[in-house]
Amino acid sequence: MEKTTKIYTSLIALTVLSVVAANYTNWVTVVLILAALKFIGVSFFFMELKKAHAFWKITLLLYLMLFIVLIILLGSN
Amino acid sequence: MNEKFIDHKSIYYPPGGILIWIIIFLELITFGIALVVMVNYGKQEPEIFHNSRLQLSATIGTINTLFLITSGYFMARSVNYLKNDDKDRSAFFLKFTMLGGLLFLVLKCVEYYFKIEAGLTVGYNTFYTFYWMLTLFHVIHVIVGLVILVTVFFGLRKKIPTVSLEDMEASAAFWHMCDLIWLLLFPVIYLLF
Repeated sequence: MEKTTKIYTSLIALTVLSVVAANYTNWVTVVLILAALKFIGVSFFFMELKKAHAFWKITLLLYLMLFIVLIILLGSN
Repeated sequence: MNEKFIDHKSIYYPPGGILIWIIIFLELITFGIALVVMVNYGKQEPEIFHNSRLQLSATIGTINTLFLITSGYFMARSVNYLKNDDKDRSAFFLKFTMLGGLLFLVLKCVEYYFKIEAGLTVGYNTFYTFYWMLTLFHVIHVIVGLVILVTVFFGLRKKIPTVSLEDMEASAAFWHMCDLIWLLLFPVIYLLF
């Protein structure tokens, strides 16, 4: 199977998994981590950011990390 | 198609071009701040946000996520085919990319219709103010993305294509940006509260 197709299959599986996880209380962190994995899948493979300079990869990952941490911190209090 | 020789490892040439990536970051920061503010409001009005979230259909949200991811997959395939100078297959996959975007918009319209019918409009409560503002802003991006893809499609279909690989990569980056924004919106609006 082609790599793009493998990534696509994983993204579909992660989407289904996040909906299942959302049915359980206190699984907010899991749902957000699954969303972050999908975000990385789309940006690094579909958008081919993996081929880009480290600056772009690190900046996007820092943004994603900051976003997830802020949502978890605000959502948990 | 001499863009094949662009060195994407250079900081100035990320795939799609530096300008589109500046736009992508600005958009992600804008939506990110709005979502963080939404979660903060949700902390102040937990019951309203929880009850309002339950009025949304997670199934519709999930199907829309699948539409956008599938559309993004076809977009990636379309770009790959153009890199191999296969314009016909590239245009073929571009059609499916646009179909995914159209299906997303149709389902979103259905969702909006039922919300308006139930009186859950922008001023109903704080949750719905954020819901309408964020999802409508995203829908505008999807519509703009579709207009770009239609332009690229007709450019590809010409006898002498007027679309370069760089144009295609920039258009694809904009389309994937719609995916990225939705991947942040979906869990926060439809699943979190």
